[in-house]
Amino acid sequence: MFSRVGSSFYRTAAWRLAVRSTAVFAVGSAAVFIVMYVMVARTVRDRSDSWLLGESDTLKQVALNTPRDALYDRVVEEVAEHATREAGDDESEGHPAGNTVFFAQTGDPSHAPVWVGPADSATFLNALSTMKISQGAPVSLQIKGWPAPFRVVAVDMRPGAGRLYLGLLDSISTQLLRHLLARFFLGWVAMVAFGFLITLFGLRRMLKRVDAITSTAASIRPDDLGTRVPAGRQQDEVARLARTFNNMLDRISSSVNQLRTLTDSVAHDLKSPITSVRGSLEIALSLDDREQSSELVARAIEHLDRLSDVITTSLDLAEADGGALRLRRESIDLGELVSRVVELYAPVFADRHQQLCVAAMTTAKIGGDVSLCTRMLSNLMENELHYAGANAVVSVSVSTGEGLASITVEDNGPGFSPELLPRVFQRFVKGAESEGHGLGLAFVSAVAVAHGGRAVARIRPEGGSQIVVKIPLATAATGEERQSADNVLSSR
Amino acid sequence: MRLLVVEDDNTIREFLTRALAESGFRVDACSQGSQAEKLALEGVHDALVIDLTLPDIDGLELIQRLRSQGVTSPVLILSARRSVDERVRGLEKGGDDYMTKPFAVAELQARLRALLRRSTPGQSETTKLRVGDLEIDLIRREARRAGVELQLTQQEFALLEYLCRNAGRVVTRAMVLDHVWKMRIDTSTNIVDVHIHRLRNKVDRESERPLIRTIRGVGYLLRD
Repeated sequence: MFSRVGSSFYRTAAWRLAVRSTAVFAVGSAAVFIVMYVMVARTVRDRSDSWLLGESDTLKQVALNTPRDALYDRVVEEVAEHATREAGDDESEGHPAGNTVFFAQTGDPSHAPVWVGPADSATFLNALSTMKISQGAPVSLQIKGWPAPFRVVAVDMRPGAGRLYLGLLDSISTQLLRHLLARFFLGWVAMVAFGFLITLFGLRRMLKRVDAITSTAASIRPDDLGTRVPAGRQQDEVARLARTFNNMLDRISSSVNQLRTLTDSVAHDLKSPITSVRGSLEIALSLDDREQSSELVARAIEHLDRLSDVITTSLDLAEADGGALRLRRESIDLGELVSRVVELYAPVFADRHQQLCVAAMTTAKIGGDVSLCTRMLSNLMENELHYAGANAVVSVSVSTGEGLASITVEDNGPGFSPELLPRVFQRFVKGAESEGHGLGLAFVSAVAVAHGGRAVARIRPEGGSQIVVKIPLATAATGEERQSADNVLSSR
Repeated sequence: MRLLVVEDDNTIREFLTRALAESGFRVDACSQGSQAEKLALEGVHDALVIDLTLPDIDGLELIQRLRSQGVTSPVLILSARRSVDERVRGLEKGGDDYMTKPFAVAELQARLRALLRRSTPGQSETTKLRVGDLEIDLIRREARRAGVELQLTQQEFALLEYLCRNAGRVVTRAMVLDHVWKMRIDTSTNIVDVHIHRLRNKVDRESERPLIRTIRGVGYLLRD
């Protein structure tokens, strides 16, 4: 159980990211600490080196100027001891906590080596005899039994007079550096560990919100689209993800609802005509009277035409929704087209005791699909026929402005009901007393949008409804396009 | 007149064969594109009715092949798809007319007749049409019934002219909209009926023998 939880934890992005960022941080901070340590160590060494150089110079002068008599040893030893005492506090037995200094003079054939320093002089002299000499610059020399290397400067006396060595073990500095190193290391470990935990917890907290989105997404079923991800009040990336996700859910849910409405409507709109067709034909079969039966058959055909109409418009709308409504663009004068449609419909309006009139008309060239535009206009007319009511006056006008052609259709009828107004261009939305399929205005809007325009509905302040369809006017460029398209067609 | 009907749906093929045979055509029918190609290449058909969705080859391709092999008979395309795009492609590939399902048999017959007329030239364009005691002068744009001039609007005259040109044959509402108003709209509203009603009031009111008849569920018929 634990190992399963554990291993799944090690697979999380939080763990992986925390490990990676901590590794980078550890390497970086270690490099900084090392550079700092090296700089401190060099400063400390430089200090002891400069003391060694100065003192060795003094000792050389003393050794050279002192006559080689019985007192020579004493004098040199005296000076060396003085010097060692100056730097080191302790020259007693063992390995002291303080500084240790030694002085040696070797290689003078007329004289025995002089030694001032720790008691085990043989070890030192041995080491000195094998060491590499760098004239005038201190070098490090490790002596057996001592915890740290000595810094040793070797100075040649005049030729034949041998060599003079001065060594210093700066224990205090060494210890200081060691402490520093230990502190640095501990500090580094603490920093890396702390950084790792902070990163890990931060990432865990953030990615838990992502996990919440994941589990919400996993819990969504087609029959339950109500679940939403908690988005919080933050403005960060995860909050944006959550909000985007919620928006997507909203859209899906509205699509699904629309689909449900569609299915219901299709079921209703298709099944009722099918039922009446079937019924009519059944009765027609059983009738002996030919006139009566053909009347029924005719009615069945009319129902079928209506059915075909619903299917056609539904398919067009489905295509328009999918962005697949292909336009066969050509230059159309909307003013002329509207006039023709009005001419076609005017007697129908008169027949229903309504009046259809043209309020204003102008030339409005657009690049559009004639068939779709004609059907759009006929839908607008039929919408008025059905909803404006008896004795209504319907006026149509075409105007241009701001690069748009506007077709305005308004009436003095009952207008849209306020709760319907925002949705009149949606599919299957229809008034309570409507006998239509609720596709007419949806189609109007779809055609307007396909032409780069839009349809707007509103209730006129003086009563009645108003629908305005705006479609961009043809530009010079689309005119040329159309010409070349014409050439292709005519050259066929 | 001999026709070739290429349609893979059995029901539609049988009903087409029957409907066209009843209106006086000799009809050959087949369901496969390859078979259709063989039959069409015999060169005995005056017109072809081709459905676009065939089991073996695409209807458009069949038309193209026939055209490239010298078949010049007019082709009427049938399709369940109804996009403008496809219509234009069909006409570009060598089709002469295009109808989408569902369609009225009367319209199919009318379109076939129109195609056959176009392919057999030599008919002189008349300037006067006469049906019974109705007489219309296409040049002066005047119509007389039993010698009395009828006061018709431009639209009414165009409608009457269309009915007279198709005298004795049924025209559907869609055909009327297409030919008289140059609009292809599907509508369940009785626009055409209103116009016909007005025309009838002027043409048939004074007469005991009405010329314009309504064929319910199909369309209209002008006959003496």
